[in-house]
Amino acid sequence: MPVESGVFCRSGILILHSLIDSRYHTVSINRKETFRKNFTRMNSLLKSLGDYMKIEMKNIRKSFGSNDVLKDVTLSVQGGEICALLGENGAGKSTLMNILGGVIPMDSGSILIDEKEVDFETPVDSQEAGIAFIHQELNLINDLPIYENMFLGREIKTKKGSLDLKQMYDKTAEIFKQMNVDLDPGRMVRDLDASYKQIVEICRAMMTNASIIIMDEPTTSLTDTEIERVFAMMKTLKENNVGIIFISHKLNEVKEICNRYIVLRDGNLVSVGNVSDVTKKDLASYMVGFDVRTESLRRVAGNEEVGNEILRVEGLTDSRHFRDINFSIRAGEIVGITGLLGDGRSELFQAIFGADHYETGKIFLEGKEVTIKSTSQAIKKGIAYLPRNRKENAILKDMDIIENASVVTWSMFSKRGVIDSSRHRKLFEEQRDSLRIKMGDMTDSITSLSGGNQQKVVLSKWLAANPKVLILDNPTQGVDVGAKEDIYDIILKLADENIAIIVLSSEAQEIIRVCDRALVMYHGVIQGEVRDEMMNEQTIMRLATGGELGEEKGVHQL
Amino acid sequence: MIPNKQPNLENASPGKKTFVGWFKHKWSNDPLFSILIALIIMVILQTLTLGFDYNSFGEWFQAWTNNWINILRNNAGVGIVALGMTFVIMTGGIDLSVGSTLVITGAFAMYLLDTGAQGILSAVGITGVPAIILTIILVLAFGYMLGALIGVSITKGMVPPFIATLGAMMIFRSVTQHFAQGYNTKVPVEFLQISSFKIGNLMIMPIIYWAIIACILYYVSKRTTFGRQIIAVGSNERAAKLSGVNINKVKLRVYALMGLLVSVAAIIQVSRIGSMDFSNAGRGMEMDAIAAAVVGGTNMLGGRGYILGTVYGMLIIAVMNNLLNLFGVPPFLREAFKGVIVIVAVLLQRKEKTA
Repeated sequence: MPVESGVFCRSGILILHSLIDSRYHTVSINRKETFRKNFTRMNSLLKSLGDYMKIEMKNIRKSFGSNDVLKDVTLSVQGGEICALLGENGAGKSTLMNILGGVIPMDSGSILIDEKEVDFETPVDSQEAGIAFIHQELNLINDLPIYENMFLGREIKTKKGSLDLKQMYDKTAEIFKQMNVDLDPGRMVRDLDASYKQIVEICRAMMTNASIIIMDEPTTSLTDTEIERVFAMMKTLKENNVGIIFISHKLNEVKEICNRYIVLRDGNLVSVGNVSDVTKKDLASYMVGFDVRTESLRRVAGNEEVGNEILRVEGLTDSRHFRDINFSIRAGEIVGITGLLGDGRSELFQAIFGADHYETGKIFLEGKEVTIKSTSQAIKKGIAYLPRNRKENAILKDMDIIENASVVTWSMFSKRGVIDSSRHRKLFEEQRDSLRIKMGDMTDSITSLSGGNQQKVVLSKWLAANPKVLILDNPTQGVDVGAKEDIYDIILKLADENIAIIVLSSEAQEIIRVCDRALVMYHGVIQGEVRDEMMNEQTIMRLATGGELGEEKGVHQL
Repeated sequence: MIPNKQPNLENASPGKKTFVGWFKHKWSNDPLFSILIALIIMVILQTLTLGFDYNSFGEWFQAWTNNWINILRNNAGVGIVALGMTFVIMTGGIDLSVGSTLVITGAFAMYLLDTGAQGILSAVGITGVPAIILTIILVLAFGYMLGALIGVSITKGMVPPFIATLGAMMIFRSVTQHFAQGYNTKVPVEFLQISSFKIGNLMIMPIIYWAIIACILYYVSKRTTFGRQIIAVGSNERAAKLSGVNINKVKLRVYALMGLLVSVAAIIQVSRIGSMDFSNAGRGMEMDAIAAAVVGGTNMLGGRGYILGTVYGMLIIAVMNNLLNLFGVPPFLREAFKGVIVIVAVLLQRKEKTA
């Protein structure tokens, strides 16, 4: 009886799963046939420690529209090594891996496995060739036990057609034993911490006879002990002649676990070599290049007349995202906050803005301590927050341009609850001209605008509220070059109008060009502050990957 | 009319000048246009079915008007509830409890009004017109409070709207049936005037209430902070929150408004008949209200919704019921037609969106 009810639940979830990922649906039959073969092959692979796979990617080119993402990249990876794939955001790492994983096609070039050319048209082709791609968002179903997750889409069935739960359980246990994983296959996936989920994914990849595993930033959401667990697993794989391509921003980890590195910059392969031959500093400079600093937009030093302190934060802590944050910002200043994925900067400023909560710490506005419990309170007190991911966090897709530009100030301008639309219109007309928003009619849908103009509309709604502190989270995300420059101009102009501006960005370039000084965050703490000549990509990258500033001059500790 | 044959640059832009162009333009740009066309077709059908077998135009007009007054009056209560439901759905929620709220507020009104032994107001010595006015105020307040209670459990308690209102639906009816079953009231005649007061020999008071409330809510949805914030919340809750919209307050007020409108419907119903059948009154009301909103172009996922569309939607369903009645379709089959209408309406709107 429990078995049968299990089948019922399973089939329901399977349907769901196949909706999410239809490839399971189409290949499940094929997979079931090949599974047993794969399973035994994997066993022999693990035992023999003999032959290992070699992947070569030659002259890979890929462009999206006029944007060349990969320009003639050639590289190779083989079993038994852990190879770090490094590069800044937008360097082409994920495009390259998506080509290898069969997710997107390349424009030209070739992929060779053991000197034989292969053609990956779908992710399944790539998987069957022995390449497993573990994405950042794990592909596990929380409501099923581990052993059922291990066999998703290629379930073992009894002759009657019901699931052979026992066999699936035993096989999972067997693999765990071989991989030195101390885990009960019957546990529910939801009860696992992030590192064990990662490990289950890896074991599942092993079950599909993977010889090369691509891991896309597997450690971003893990704690230090969890990272150790995953690293131990990776070492086991390495000993078993499996190759791993490890995408990470954290140079500490690269130094610890990897034996080779590949650095991409702007779609070019800039450096390949053994990790033991280089320092972290070298790697950081490979990633950003040496002559990256373009002309700074900052106002000439000495001409900076910053006003009084507007916002001060003391010891702000939320154990999940950020710890012991201290900083202060004056009127007319532009302060950058940067770091890599998982540094907690968005969460920090959403907490200051009242959208999320914090556990301990104090916030002072113009010298007075304030408690901010909601976003409307924050707005009344003069804080504005332009969120990242415009589409999810800022755009009201069912509303028109003028409404998107006035949502913040509706209640401010209204008389007895009635919207003062003429005032909104007048204000927006001024802003349309000063922000140079290219648009048709005010009552056109917001989605009719380009990304840059949408962002300007979102910005205009905050300017309408007359903020004292303007927090801009990734303000140039998904914005074309022209609009980007416009937004920089606007930021500088607003600072001249004595607004304290905070720019959150993962692009060091952006911070260097626009900000007076920058705080660099790493894993929820402010790792250091840079300004003047110390504010360069190398230093920022070193801090963002967990390095220290050292005793160089120009350093201002808080 | 012969179209202007001289070359006209304004005509170069598609549509608007010729009827077909205008029609196409409206069809793809005005979300309520297709609903209005559907309604007009239904009304023409209904008029044809009614026939012209009368001695004079006056007599035919009399019959036609009477038929229409009947349709509108019978649907005024649900029509009012559907308006509130539109707001609820626009926030991305749903309210299944309306039928039960109708019964519990109706029972409350009857207990207040009763001139007999169990009457609450008469027991404390308030009778006549003051009692009626007080009853109206208390019943409205009661409905508002019940709605607010549901709203609190949804916002503060984080109970999904479907569950919260499903629970309320069971609780309200069950409690009412337990305490009030078999209760016969003597509702004062003056109270019955609320619905049955005649204007020029026509019993149209419920229709007037419906029209007034529709106008007010239309204004609220278009012009007030509350109305636009409803759309903002339903369109993108996260963005609304990050724009300083107090999403919990908006949702709470929407459910409270829903309760208030249901209590208006309850007052209309009690004053029309003078009593209420606690086990059957309001059954299926939530589905009719949802159907009207959906036919009227409201998006079940929230964000998009039209008060005017809901009025059209209600009328379409009402006219169709009337048509089925005139055709003599057996009662059990009528629900099926309603179902078809709802699905077809949504299909039509979908096509519009992708076109």
